[in-house]
Amino acid sequence: MKINITDFSFAYRDTSRPALRALSLQIASGQICAVVGRAGAGKSTLCALCAGFIPQFFAGAVRGSAQVDGQDVITTPIAQLTRHVALVSTNPASQISGARFTVFEEVAFGLENIGMPVEEMRSRVEWALDAMGIAELGERSPFALSGGQQQRMVIAAALALRPLVLVLDEPITQLDPHAAESLAELLRSLAGQGTTILVAEHRLDWAAQLADHVVALDDGQVIAEGTSAAVFGDPLLAERGIRMLNTQRAAKPLVAPTATSATPLLALDSVSYNYPHGVAALHNVSLTIGAGEQVALLGRNGAGKSTLARHLNGLLRPTSGQVMVAGQDTRHISVAQAARHIGVVFQDVRNQLFARTVRDELRFGPRNLRYPAAKIEALVDAALDALGLREVAGEHPYDLPYAMRRLVAIAAVVAMDSPLLVLDEPTAGLDTGAVERLVQLCQQRATQGSSTIVITHDLDFAYVALDSLILLDAGKIALDAHWDTLDASQRALLDAAVGLPRALCFV
Amino acid sequence: MLYLPGDGVLHRLHPLTKLAGALLVAVAVTLYPRPPLLLGVMALLLTMALAAGIARRLLVIALGLLLPLIISLFVIQGVLFPPPGAVPFATFGPIRLTYEGLFFAALIAGRLIAIALAILLVLLSTHPADLVAALTGAGLPHSVGYVVLVALQIAPDMAARVGAILDAQQSRGLAVGRGIARLRALPALVGPLLVGALGDVEERAMAIEARAFLASGPKTSLRVLHDSAVQRGLRWLMLALVLALIVLRVAGMRGVL
Repeated sequence: MKINITDFSFAYRDTSRPALRALSLQIASGQICAVVGRAGAGKSTLCALCAGFIPQFFAGAVRGSAQVDGQDVITTPIAQLTRHVALVSTNPASQISGARFTVFEEVAFGLENIGMPVEEMRSRVEWALDAMGIAELGERSPFALSGGQQQRMVIAAALALRPLVLVLDEPITQLDPHAAESLAELLRSLAGQGTTILVAEHRLDWAAQLADHVVALDDGQVIAEGTSAAVFGDPLLAERGIRMLNTQRAAKPLVAPTATSATPLLALDSVSYNYPHGVAALHNVSLTIGAGEQVALLGRNGAGKSTLARHLNGLLRPTSGQVMVAGQDTRHISVAQAARHIGVVFQDVRNQLFARTVRDELRFGPRNLRYPAAKIEALVDAALDALGLREVAGEHPYDLPYAMRRLVAIAAVVAMDSPLLVLDEPTAGLDTGAVERLVQLCQQRATQGSSTIVITHDLDFAYVALDSLILLDAGKIALDAHWDTLDASQRALLDAAVGLPRALCFV
Repeated sequence: MLYLPGDGVLHRLHPLTKLAGALLVAVAVTLYPRPPLLLGVMALLLTMALAAGIARRLLVIALGLLLPLIISLFVIQGVLFPPPGAVPFATFGPIRLTYEGLFFAALIAGRLIAIALAILLVLLSTHPADLVAALTGAGLPHSVGYVVLVALQIAPDMAARVGAILDAQQSRGLAVGRGIARLRALPALVGPLLVGALGDVEERAMAIEARAFLASGPKTSLRVLHDSAVQRGLRWLMLALVLALIVLRVAGMRGVL
């Protein structure tokens, strides 16, 4: 057995609740094992254990035994284990060594540390960059990459070590669907060559089609184990909240955009944008968003989605063209003024949360808009309910698990009651329960006549929660259509760019 | 980061050779601040900078760093408090200009300029990663080298993060105004910055350990530094010269020689 864990229990220091309980797991050489479970089920702890970080890096109480590639991971120094096992953890940006100036050197960092000869190092790095499809980024600074590119770089850095056992904790949170599919292919071919792979992932559909063996964790315990079909067919999983998103759209009447006379919430007219260093990011983008519209903004990594999002509330001003927010040109109003009409939630919640309690965090936005106290409390309560956070309102946002923190960040902007809400990759790293909350949020907004734009790689979410889609390709709008009226050629276009939601795959 | 890419002789020299040269300059002008030596060293360094194509940047940075210092030096030493016993050649009210005072100020300024030019010449012509690679090759602990390189990149890293935080909070209606309003905005900006930095420390420590940062045994570097017997000889020669200058100077002060 490449990975052999027997009756293993672990509780982090200063916590009473064990993160893993009497866990046993055997994985044979060349197998791909997917670990699934809700947020906080113990997936990341299991990944850390397999790379030797428990209890050597994260102190705590240990019981049981664990061997990876014949090494006792509880006692063997981490540095020694790196010759057997490589770990990629969840947040790509904070896994950059920070001591290397180019992507190429960053990927070589681990190889330098084990003293590999330079010639071999070069060929390994070239192979790893190529395998992750980022060979052309070799000379860029690691800090100047998009999230998806950084994620591919940190995976490349682990691959370059050519580990016999590869452990990946949520490797596709920032990848576009095609990149996620190529990673799956790569992992399958590595496994074919004998690499043993352990991968924890919330995207159950991706995990299901990748893995030979699936382990479902709940509350630190294995609750089901076996082939994809057997595990995902087990009713116990659904009972414990481990389920795939229902990929069917609720049947909704097609509503023609209302209020032709009224000013649209948002109108972009021939917007082009060039970055100061000359890169053209947007080209002639025109769109309008009316009341009640729920729109997905889709596109590959680097298509210009984030640049477009920053134009919506005036964080960026177009090089040419015009962005009108509730009838006002963003050139003439401040971002804070635009916030009354448009609330934006960015990907990295750490850049946003700062208050002592969830409730205080939610008050911050409406206070900035100078609403009366009674209205603020009403808005905060409504937002807490909309995201299911009422029970944790008094807690510190950073004491909450990651998925809930993201819901807090979203609730904090929902509480501003802006007619248009913009969410950037809101489902990344969320379990299905939390994703369903967001589906409900969008549906609720639609019935209230509020609008939502969601930038996402999660096509199933986009299909289930939203009504229409805008596809960006190389800074241009390639498609602007309603999900229910996509014709065959539009489907093909979408498929080629980002793939299709599962529900449309066999139409 | 000061480094300007280039492929001249200076750029191709081994970082340790350049460092030894800078050390020799610093020791020589400190111990023997004679006008011919100072002028000669400055002329030599500027010629090297010109040949390497980095003279412009060198002068801009050196002047930016030193000009305020040099001006105050002349004001204090040369004008306000000349050496005792010096005879002024011109007097304007309380200000007495003396040759001795101005000469003294010029000597100190010359020393500072020569040392600054030498150090900047090394930094402008050597990629920081090469410099650290050379130093770790010469025995600097790996971890110290890592910290130096991280520190060099922390500014762009932080700038990006501050920008992202500003974006996020302004999007929540935070008016980043002027004066008092700006102070009020501070917690919403500093809070996330601190939390982010602290969170990063643990995650980054974990990430570099997972990539064998603490592995024992020899390490290699992707950065291949070109060295030669001539350069090694040159380095030893310069270090010997440094030592000799110090010995001579000490002996001279003691009156042995």
